[in-house]
Amino acid sequence: MTFHIDTSTGKKLGIAALIGRIDSKNSSELITSFALWQQQTSLFVFDCAMLDFIDSSGLGAIVSCLRKAIEHNGDLKLANLSPKVSMVFEITKAKKLFSMFPDTGSAIQSFEINSTE
Amino acid sequence: MKTLIIIREQDYEWLDHFFPGIHPLLVPICNKPFAEFLIDFSILAGSEAIRLVMDGPLSDVERYCENGNRWGIPISYASIKNTDDLQTVIDKNQRFCSEDRVLIISGFVFIQYDKQYNYKTIFASLPDCEILSSNRGSLRLRGSRTETQHDMGNIPLSLLGFDSIDVYYRLCMEILNDISSPYVLPGYSNEAYCHIGRNVVISKSAEIRKPVIIGNNVQILADSIIGPKAVIGSNVIIDRESSVIGSIVLENTYIGEHLEVQNKIASGNILIEPESGISIAMDDPHLLTGIHQSGSAKSLFQSIVHRLAAILLITLQLIPFLLLTPILILQGKWKKSTNSYCTAVSEKHLILTTTTIERTGPLSTLAAALSLDRFTLLFRVLIGQLAIIGSWPVVATPSCITEYSKTKSWYRAAVFSYAETEEWPVNTGDTAIIERYYAAHGNPMNDIALTIKALLNRIHETNTHP
Amino acid sequence: MIISENTFNNITVIALQGTLDARNATQLKQFKSAAASTTSVVINLSEVDFLDSSGLGAIVSIARVKRAQGGDVLLACMNNKVREVFEITQVYKLFDIYDDVEAATINAEKKHTSL
Repeated sequence: MTFHIDTSTGKKLGIAALIGRIDSKNSSELITSFALWQQQTSLFVFDCAMLDFIDSSGLGAIVSCLRKAIEHNGDLKLANLSPKVSMVFEITKAKKLFSMFPDTGSAIQSFEINSTE
Repeated sequence: MKTLIIIREQDYEWLDHFFPGIHPLLVPICNKPFAEFLIDFSILAGSEAIRLVMDGPLSDVERYCENGNRWGIPISYASIKNTDDLQTVIDKNQRFCSEDRVLIISGFVFIQYDKQYNYKTIFASLPDCEILSSNRGSLRLRGSRTETQHDMGNIPLSLLGFDSIDVYYRLCMEILNDISSPYVLPGYSNEAYCHIGRNVVISKSAEIRKPVIIGNNVQILADSIIGPKAVIGSNVIIDRESSVIGSIVLENTYIGEHLEVQNKIASGNILIEPESGISIAMDDPHLLTGIHQSGSAKSLFQSIVHRLAAILLITLQLIPFLLLTPILILQGKWKKSTNSYCTAVSEKHLILTTTTIERTGPLSTLAAALSLDRFTLLFRVLIGQLAIIGSWPVVATPSCITEYSKTKSWYRAAVFSYAETEEWPVNTGDTAIIERYYAAHGNPMNDIALTIKALLNRIHETNTHP
Repeated sequence: MIISENTFNNITVIALQGTLDARNATQLKQFKSAAASTTSVVINLSEVDFLDSSGLGAIVSIARVKRAQGGDVLLACMNNKVREVFEITQVYKLFDIYDDVEAATINAEKKHTSL
């Protein structure tokens, strides 16, 4: 996992790249890291381009990140989901909870659009 | 009239990717194996006998269809080479075809027919001709004695080339939706658009919306929604609050709780999106998984027998090993190499150190004759990583994983190979032949006898395995 | 196992009767027309009730020698059990298998004249 802050939109966005697998063995890592990242910002984009595999615990971890972000008046959007991972989101109905974008750029831009409304 | 059905591996290879382990002719279309549609049609067309000819494996279909008694029509089988053209195939089935009229169904195609029409009379009046053809296959008649021309346009038949998962999906949905039910479908059907099999348990709070087909031994748990447009195979469990809409669930599949399966195909732990052709193997048993009938008692017995044999062999070889090995190492005749090998269990690789002994000189010949080079591998049998006799461990390469699904039924990495029990093998092709033979015809007690034979063979062998 | 020989359409047909297994695999390999490397033969299996891996080995070995010298071995009339063995071991991919001896000899002859 990598994490950096992007300020191109004038807001502090946390961009995290999820890499490899998120499953029952390492999903708790994501939750602990997210808690740290929340100290820096409340708006997030998860870049899933390198995410190969996710199971129900991994999904649970991402959904809990979303909830925590919303609790802090923030948001979490997803970008670059592979078709396979996308299918897992789809059958678990998790797809309905998230805004999904084909690339990180458009995800970042969507935060900008929101600010002008 | 007789029917000759010719199916080639190259036409159905794409199907293996989506439904590994299911023979392409047994792939269920609305819970009825594809082969049965072909058999139904042949009978409708007035055939007295069917011969199924393939350049790939036939045993699964043969086991299912047997001699055709179930349908009242004799079914026989033959193998061809993938390079054979149509005339060669007919030559190879000369006795079957003899002087009769033959309806030749060739290619991996679905024949769209309607059981209400009298194809028997229609076909009886046709001359030799190609009735239908598509880029994926054809339907033709041969050996007719009539010369009369018939208006081809009026025959109520069409061919559907079976060439992608999307075609399969749409075909199933189409058949499901068809009120005129041109085909005979399995299951009880008290009302239109709804077929249900035996031993189906549907929770009171579950909802079934037509059109829907459900197989045998199916459990649909509380608050689930099945349909509209759902095909559920046999031995399926749909867990609570899940929905299956516009989807096909093949047999032996478990669908977890709170899931929404929409416009998909699920087979075991594989989820397929028909439109894009993407398939994903789910590792999470809470989501999607295959339901397996266990053959564990038999394999337990086998592993016990193999381990006992390994223990016996270790005790016999221990003293010669301790005495001879140090000497051979000093002489430089004891060579080790470490490699990673494929195993029969998914994609796990096994790292083994194999030893070769140069048979020069009395001591090394004695050591090789006593099979001391296999001594260290025997311990792997005790921990269950290897069998005592089976197939040569295959070196793991990237292509090993793709080959895995084809070989898993007979490949069992072992200390000795079945091929060592015989004298004739010259190359790896020959070795594979023997290994496959015994994988199918073997049993644990026989394995012991064969291990002894392999050991005896090594005593007078002139060279060790490369 | 009883081995007999015949000629049909100028092609030698070796008919086997009984079980082709370890005990009589060598008998087959040493049979004159089987051992001779250049003549193509058709092996008539209609009276073979079963064969095992050594039997297969005999047929594969004979074919190998003949093919190296421009000849061939064609097989005819397998029963279900024999066919099953050829299939599990995938040996069916290596041979032309006919359901009729005469058809096999005609094709063997065609191959000969085209060489």
